[in-house]
Amino acid sequence: MRIVRDSLAGTLESSDALVRVSPTDGGERDVSINSSVMAQFGTQITEVVQDTLDKMGVSQGQIVVEDKGALDCTLRARVQAAVLRACADEATGTTDASTSVDWSLL
Amino acid sequence: MSHDHRPHPDHSSSRAPARMPHRSMLFIPASNAAMMSTAYIYGADAVMFDLEDGVALREKDSARLIAFHTLRSKLYAGVETVVRINPLDTPFGPADLEAAVRAGADVIRLPKTETAQDILELEERVAQIETECGRAPGSTRLMAAIESASGVVNAVAIATATPRLTSIALAGFDYVVDMRTTRGDGSELFYARCAVLHAARYAGISAYDVVFSNVDDEAGFLAEVEVIKRLGFDGKSLINPRQIDLLHNAYAPTQAELDRAHLVIDAADRAAREGLGVVSLGGKMIDAPIVEAARRTVRYADASGVRR
Amino acid sequence: MLEEIDLSTVTPGVDHTEMDAVAQFLASHDLDLDGDLDIILVARHFGELIGCAALAGGIVKCVAVAQHAQGLNLLPHLMTELSYIAHARGHAHLFVYTKPRYQDLFTSCGFHPIVAVPDQVVMMENTPRGIRGYTEDLRNYRRIRDKVGAVVLNANPFTKGHQHLLREAARDCDYLHVFVVAEDASYFPFTDRLALVRAGVAEMSERDHIHVHPGTTYVVSKATFPSYFLKDSGLVDMCATAVDLLIFREHIAPALGVTHRYVGTEPFCRVTRQYNTDMHYWLERRDLPPSFAAPVQVVEIPRVAAGDEPGSQAISATNVRRLLELGDLDQLRPLVPDPTFALLAAKYAPDAPPPPQRASTRPC
Repeated sequence: MRIVRDSLAGTLESSDALVRVSPTDGGERDVSINSSVMAQFGTQITEVVQDTLDKMGVSQGQIVVEDKGALDCTLRARVQAAVLRACADEATGTTDASTSVDWSLL
Repeated sequence: MSHDHRPHPDHSSSRAPARMPHRSMLFIPASNAAMMSTAYIYGADAVMFDLEDGVALREKDSARLIAFHTLRSKLYAGVETVVRINPLDTPFGPADLEAAVRAGADVIRLPKTETAQDILELEERVAQIETECGRAPGSTRLMAAIESASGVVNAVAIATATPRLTSIALAGFDYVVDMRTTRGDGSELFYARCAVLHAARYAGISAYDVVFSNVDDEAGFLAEVEVIKRLGFDGKSLINPRQIDLLHNAYAPTQAELDRAHLVIDAADRAAREGLGVVSLGGKMIDAPIVEAARRTVRYADASGVRR
Repeated sequence: MLEEIDLSTVTPGVDHTEMDAVAQFLASHDLDLDGDLDIILVARHFGELIGCAALAGGIVKCVAVAQHAQGLNLLPHLMTELSYIAHARGHAHLFVYTKPRYQDLFTSCGFHPIVAVPDQVVMMENTPRGIRGYTEDLRNYRRIRDKVGAVVLNANPFTKGHQHLLREAARDCDYLHVFVVAEDASYFPFTDRLALVRAGVAEMSERDHIHVHPGTTYVVSKATFPSYFLKDSGLVDMCATAVDLLIFREHIAPALGVTHRYVGTEPFCRVTRQYNTDMHYWLERRDLPPSFAAPVQVVEIPRVAAGDEPGSQAISATNVRRLLELGDLDQLRPLVPDPTFALLAAKYAPDAPPPPQRASTRPC
């Protein structure tokens, strides 16, 4: 998916994560993760975020994750919500990808 | 609306969930990540992931994804999972349904059910999604939420619309608005409760009563639970985990009731082994409804012990 | 408990009762209600005001949480909601100024420090890639020379005075980086100002070792000038320039290897003169903690006069704008390079339709 605008998903509450996505002028996908539980779960959190982005085909853009101890399922959901909000839907040509989702990719 | 296809109120049928207690259904706004990650620990018989009125417009998409991934995570493996979708004629409803069925929700709750046709439309969509995603056909159960005069009047037709429909819930907030009244001592809900409950019993499905919104009013809550238990409701919708134990305890049998139930079941089992028909216990006849009531008493005790 | 908290927004100038309540609440936390707020987010618990946070553009201001509500995790709650409000208003990139003792609180809300004025203030932003991403980009323009200079200009518009400053600076060093202030708070929009600087540099013989950079929010922008939370007004001015100058010293100068910063002497504008004075202090001082970057030497270059005779006034952009408003193009012509004159005559002279939107003329 192609990131075309800034977006935001989630919250800074405990057990959640706030995810920001921004378009970039070319370049690689740039992921920054900060977590209140980085020491124990940093590797796993990074894997979940990267895997979620891989499956959605996000190859560019800046992704910032502020994690507050979210479970994997929450993290996945927030990353996907932020990406969908930031994307144009290439399949339908509409600007909003969040209403027409290919669930098998999620 | 035809009632010819009334399901047999046969409790030994394959509709196993009807045998599980349906005392408590805990509402969780699916946008609330913290509650979604923890609510399985509270011991509710069912949890309802809300995508509808408990979720702000801004969060509809994000809440849907949280519900989807939470269901797939199997966090709630031991709990009946219900997803309250948005009405199908909103931009959110169809996507909510898609997410919930694909993720394996046990039950889809349709809000603002007005007619049997609403349920049949829902069933058609559910069947289609099941086929598309490879979920066992018919494995998604349905729940109708009755929130209007129309829903109450059509309760029987709704409750019997399809064998997939395994429970019906009365939702008080919209209903009293529709009836041009407000919540009060319960008399404003009397007809609706009776109508919904009769429809449920006629169809052989579970019935949930309305939420009690003042979580600090424990006495008021227990008084309402006493009323709906007496009417015959299986249980209530709950908005706060603190209400679960209160409710379960109110539905739990006393030790004396449990002892009596064991006696009844033992007598019935003994009679069955010995090939006898109707038996009596302490001079009273023990027939099938009494045995069934005794088995229900034991199930409730198994679920949460005896009343304190 | 958080479920019992009501959040609402207040628009300054609309709800006076609510504004008074917010002002009183802020005062009890030693904070002022800024005059430039766009929207204020207010948290109430059963009617009692227990927290607030406000936005002025992309700058988070007036953040306070009642003492007895600090265990509630209220700050993340407020900052989440404020982020969505800011996002809806087109501000994804947020800044906050806070006292150093609150830095950790904002860190836990996803803010990252840009620069700290020791014992005074920390400026933070809501992305780990902001200033770091910017300086990584800047490194691509780095030239390894002994003496590398930098000039920051608003160029409102670009005059012969600016051209003189750049020429003198370029002659004094081996390579010169020129930043054009990007903030659109001036009479001339940024795109025009940048184009004029580029055109003006292109006609200079020193152009081969001058690079003109579009400014960013990290170089003399509204975001780098705070003034809201320190009551001592003397301190406000000092910190206002300190943040901007320390960002230059800590991030921009090291990225480009800048050793000297050039600036014109300021005979007219008090604000700019103060900025020049502060520039010496913050860029040159050597008594900062060792974690600070190396000092940058400040060189003031006397302004060039409009005429040859002694006593004639130095060229200033302010004067150019005044002549432009008077429609006195003949007087104006000798003060500006040809490209500037061409643009002014074509687009901004009184008979050139349509006139531009008038904005604040600060900074000079």
